[in-house]
Amino acid sequence: MSETADHAARLLRAYQAQEKRFVERRFPLEFAPEVPALRELYSQAKGFHWNPETDIAWDRFDAARYAQATREAARRTWSRRAWGVYPGLTESTALLIRFCLESGSLGMDAKLFLSFRPAEEAKHLEVCHMLAERLGGYEPDPGEPGLARVSNHPFAQAALDCDVPVEAYIAALGALDDQLDLNLYLSHLHQAKDEVVRAALRLIAGDRARHVAFAWAFLGSRVPALDARGRAAVIDTVRDLLANVILAGYRNTWLLPEKSREPWLAAEEETARQGLGASTPAQERSVLRATIAQVRERFATWKLDLPRVDHAELGVV
Amino acid sequence: MLVDKERTEAYVPEHRYPLPLRSAMPEVWALWQRAKTLEWDPQTDIPWEELRPERYSAEQRLAAQMYWSRRTWGEYGAISESPALLLRFSLERRLPDLQFFFTMRTMEEGRHAEASWLMAERLGRYFPQPQNPPTAGAVGTHGVRRMAFDPETSLEGIFASLVCAAEEILIDVFKATVHKATNPAVRRLMELILRDEVRHIAFGWQCLDAWAPSFTPETVRNIEVAVTTMIEQVEFRGYRNLWLAIEGGSATPAEIEADRISCEAGLGGSTPEDEMAIFPEFLTKIRKRMAPYGVNLPLFDHPRLGKV
Repeated sequence: MSETADHAARLLRAYQAQEKRFVERRFPLEFAPEVPALRELYSQAKGFHWNPETDIAWDRFDAARYAQATREAARRTWSRRAWGVYPGLTESTALLIRFCLESGSLGMDAKLFLSFRPAEEAKHLEVCHMLAERLGGYEPDPGEPGLARVSNHPFAQAALDCDVPVEAYIAALGALDDQLDLNLYLSHLHQAKDEVVRAALRLIAGDRARHVAFAWAFLGSRVPALDARGRAAVIDTVRDLLANVILAGYRNTWLLPEKSREPWLAAEEETARQGLGASTPAQERSVLRATIAQVRERFATWKLDLPRVDHAELGVV
Repeated sequence: MLVDKERTEAYVPEHRYPLPLRSAMPEVWALWQRAKTLEWDPQTDIPWEELRPERYSAEQRLAAQMYWSRRTWGEYGAISESPALLLRFSLERRLPDLQFFFTMRTMEEGRHAEASWLMAERLGRYFPQPQNPPTAGAVGTHGVRRMAFDPETSLEGIFASLVCAAEEILIDVFKATVHKATNPAVRRLMELILRDEVRHIAFGWQCLDAWAPSFTPETVRNIEVAVTTMIEQVEFRGYRNLWLAIEGGSATPAEIEADRISCEAGLGGSTPEDEMAIFPEFLTKIRKRMAPYGVNLPLFDHPRLGKV
């Protein structure tokens, strides 16, 4: 067996072991809405579907009007963004399976919503790839171990880990990470000048906003009933993701270790300058601080206190 | 909590790069592109106002409620189990075409589950479980999730049995009976489901065709075992149609009769006569379709179908 096949088998066994820790009770299988807000988000997903191939005016995208250096920068930026989107395919799929394993009688609103999300993530991935290709070529590999490590976490395994409460997982990946991701997309949209890039960012942000709304609506339906252990798990998981993933540069290149930042950081700065779909480090810094404050405030309404995190460059956030 | 488990390798590290995204299977990529142009909404794209359940007898309504409820349970399997295949594609770093297409398949199956549930509800009642719980074993799962996560189970076998054969019989029955659905709402729903399922099957066959040149005798044997198991342990246990259940299981007579009564009322389903005609043809077809792979499927003994 090749090394790749051997590793894949090891990964599958890990998923298999996690799956076996659940005892699925499929029946009674309930479909009636339990949380109307979640069912409404599912309905919106059905109504607002779009197609990257036909709903973006690609024929109006003229990459040739940008300097070679700008195109090179933007293709890197959109390639790195694709790497950030890709995990969503498997993470939301694993989360869907988790909901199904937990109960047939509960959570249908979330299951239906999550049955749509992987396809939405795939559309976003396709947009990133199409833009990178049109700007000179998609780059499939960070080529630097530090960046590869920071942008590659086994969160799909975490979704199937019964030791991680589903509320904690969604609080970390949905309320914090998806919220930051959405706010960054909105910032990129605000800075973008190219009409085709703006259309792409607007479409992606529309879906992302729904994904974030799902996380908050789901937490709103579950957090009030959590016991002390469940509440602690939510806080611990969110803090863990913030301190060890977000602040390590998962979404923000300027937070990466110094030696992993280039050429990606310079590429984003040039992409932002030319309005091709990025923000400057200063703009992203504001977005990050605002997002953390936003998450902390919303958690406080449930009397969940997200501790401050000390960061060498940012100070206490 | 998350990162500690990652650091201690309680979660197995995932190798993601290089991450190719360019299509390498044009036919599968075309299915992904096509699927995006054919999205529909069960709430708005079915002429529900033409369902008018009050036109049917209580017996007919009950049968149709049972039929569409069981369809709901079957479609649910495609959102609770089959998505594990997408994880497998990713973990085995299969071509991007497979991953892109399968996200759409999961979405479509979710839609089918919702639509089938709505149909039962709007006919008067959705049944959330079989009348006798043990039937749940037969109608509740085809076991694809377990297989998808099992590295000892070949992906080719899963495709041949569950992505191709199990879906093929499903649409064969739909194709052969859609004309009997005289109710406009039921017929439209069957047409929309059929349109999606045709793509799902095309995907399965295209993958198998592409992989076939690399099949070893062991792969071929895996396919034979998987398809045989699917026929004997899924179809002949009544997963899709309880009339086919060899041992009858614990299904009630009303459940077993539901498909026929519903079908005869024009509300969806199939009759035993339909199954008698369609099932042998289906077997002939997949035997022929898989023969170029070197796959040789045995004859199956069924008390009502005979030797097929």
